[in-house]
Amino acid sequence: MSILQQLKNAVRQRSIHVCYVNTGSCNGCDIEILACLAPRYDIEQYGIYVHNNPREADVILVTGGMSPQWIDKLPDLWDRVPEPKAVVTIGNCPISGCVFNRPGKLIDPPVSKYIPVTAAVPGCPPRPSEIISAILGAADILFKDYEVHQKEKEGGGQS
Amino acid sequence: MKKVVDVSLPVGPIHPCFKEPCRIKCETRGERVVTTEVELGYVKKGIEKIMIGRPWQETIFLAERVCGICSVVHNTVIVEALEKISGITVPRRAGLLRLILNELDRIQSHLLANYSYCYTIEHETLGMYLLNLRETAMDSLEMMTGTRVMAAYVVPGGVREDLSADNAAKILEATYHIEAELKRFVRMFETGPMIGLRSKGIGVLSMEDALASGVVGPTARAAGLSRDARKEDPLYLEMGWHMITRTESDNYARIMLRFDELYQSLTLIRNGIAALEPGKIRNGGEMKAGRIKHTIEAPRGDLTYDIEIDSAGQVVFVSIQTPSIPNIEVATHAMMKNLASAADVTSTFISADPCIACAER
Amino acid sequence: MTVFTYLREFCRLSWLKAFFTVKTPPLTKPSYFRDFPELTGKECTHCLSCKMICPCPGAIDVVQTDGVWNPQITQGHCVRCGYCVEACPEGVLTSGDLLARKKEQGLVFAHEYIIKIDTGKCMGCGNCTTACPVNREIDPHMGAGGTSLSSDVLIRVEHGKNTVKHNERCKGCKVCMTTCPNGAIHVIRNVAALQEDR
Repeated sequence: MSILQQLKNAVRQRSIHVCYVNTGSCNGCDIEILACLAPRYDIEQYGIYVHNNPREADVILVTGGMSPQWIDKLPDLWDRVPEPKAVVTIGNCPISGCVFNRPGKLIDPPVSKYIPVTAAVPGCPPRPSEIISAILGAADILFKDYEVHQKEKEGGGQS
Repeated sequence: MKKVVDVSLPVGPIHPCFKEPCRIKCETRGERVVTTEVELGYVKKGIEKIMIGRPWQETIFLAERVCGICSVVHNTVIVEALEKISGITVPRRAGLLRLILNELDRIQSHLLANYSYCYTIEHETLGMYLLNLRETAMDSLEMMTGTRVMAAYVVPGGVREDLSADNAAKILEATYHIEAELKRFVRMFETGPMIGLRSKGIGVLSMEDALASGVVGPTARAAGLSRDARKEDPLYLEMGWHMITRTESDNYARIMLRFDELYQSLTLIRNGIAALEPGKIRNGGEMKAGRIKHTIEAPRGDLTYDIEIDSAGQVVFVSIQTPSIPNIEVATHAMMKNLASAADVTSTFISADPCIACAER
Repeated sequence: MTVFTYLREFCRLSWLKAFFTVKTPPLTKPSYFRDFPELTGKECTHCLSCKMICPCPGAIDVVQTDGVWNPQITQGHCVRCGYCVEACPEGVLTSGDLLARKKEQGLVFAHEYIIKIDTGKCMGCGNCTTACPVNREIDPHMGAGGTSLSSDVLIRVEHGKNTVKHNERCKGCKVCMTTCPNGAIHVIRNVAALQEDR
């Protein structure tokens, strides 16, 4: 592995730009993500910056269980995120639909049906400490050796 | 032909200022915003439909998840409605615990609303101070109920858990801490000239508009209307609740009114803890058939549940009217009318404390 | 003037202390936090109280491994409400300090099941009576039409209509509801939150 790649790995795990997308959540997970910003937990000291702009995001945090309005919009939004990118879902709704997954529902979980999900944090809602530990746990493997994997993929496609 | 509208400017659905997806369409002439329209429907889950045919132990969880910020009040109002239908009485200690929890919830909700506003006008320092203060309130909530959000604390006939004397003392300590810190932050907000420049005289809701619309909660009280469902609650009156109103009715007034209400909530919590007497916290009770319309004051305004249950306590019909519905309409049609700058659209919208999840359910 | 306000803010001792000794608290949960329920090691009697009170679809199931029944929580479905902990009569599950508080304060969830049959809709096919697991245990030789010689059964068909004989034996599994072709039978789960006198 080249030194450049090592440098990229080191830099990428210390600088993650996050955009959160509410696809029909009840706000509970959103305010717990907001609480991560609070000086108590201070997510920015780990290099995680909440931008809320898909155009400059590395990680998309999805909360909510896919309401009908989002079914065409979320894959669209996912396409606009520059590479390398990943999706982390927060809460129960993107996994199972939580208490809303009942007869007569409007939502359509899981989110992984529409976009590739890398990691999921269960809980309704998860505590800020759980969210931070999950993102930190995924941070060092999320974009590790991205270029190498990309080359392997391209090489595999050609041969 | 005279040109009326220059640019139709969309704000949202994903916008750095919004916590939730919603789109505001602004028709602008130069820098001036002529009319605005809000487009909702991004987080519709159909909770009322799912609730039908379910007993209380399942509906209270659905009601809590109408809104994550004010989950306690949704839980309280649906349980109180069921109690009123069935004629279940609540022990005094449980009633006081409900009051304490509701006021704690109001504190964290108002602090979050004011944080959002400070964040929107790019005064992040004060916003972060407020958000840190909110963590103190969340700690008290967690100590009392066992979880931060979605506590499921209120059940028909009482509450889930008792509050021990140690925890009551800790909550009391937290209220003094919040009050001491809050005084500094309110002074920063009051005297900051940049905040005043971006808040005073912006997004004014005129008295005619306020009367004509069904505006509720802090937005109405900042416009000088005395609309508060707590004035009919004997327990609140006993704990020394009184109406707080302001007359300026601009963004500044709405935020300051929330600060004023925070002080009152702290007093109510202290009075509530002082009035706690040992006793039972649960009564149980049997469900009876009937229909009722019950209103209590959520952090954002009047929250009404129109609910009908059958003899087994299962929901036959339910309709939820949340305070965000009139407030969002008023914010878009009256407050943002003729705004001097398109930059004030988001701050005016956030100052009404809109909750999209509440409005769409 | 604002500059002075900020300078004064930055000269406060507590601010300086917080600024220079800044430390994020360890990412731990307080002891009273209601986490996902865990097993205490007590014997599960397979009464299904936890599963019946659970408000989320698919969050808890009681499964048999090596001949021992034990509740199993599915993360991603469980909302950590703690109802199963409170409803369990044996104290098999624990979550935070909820179990300790339950014992200390005498908190109980009393529940009963009421079977209601709409006689206008019931056509006496006997699907529910044969499907009922309680019936099968009491009278294994039950007739296909839902008639039974034993009067101990939960429900049986009498005079072409389904009749409830022993309501208190119902376990609330709602199998009858799902098998009824007409939607004539309804199992109502009545829960009351009570506090025992200490």
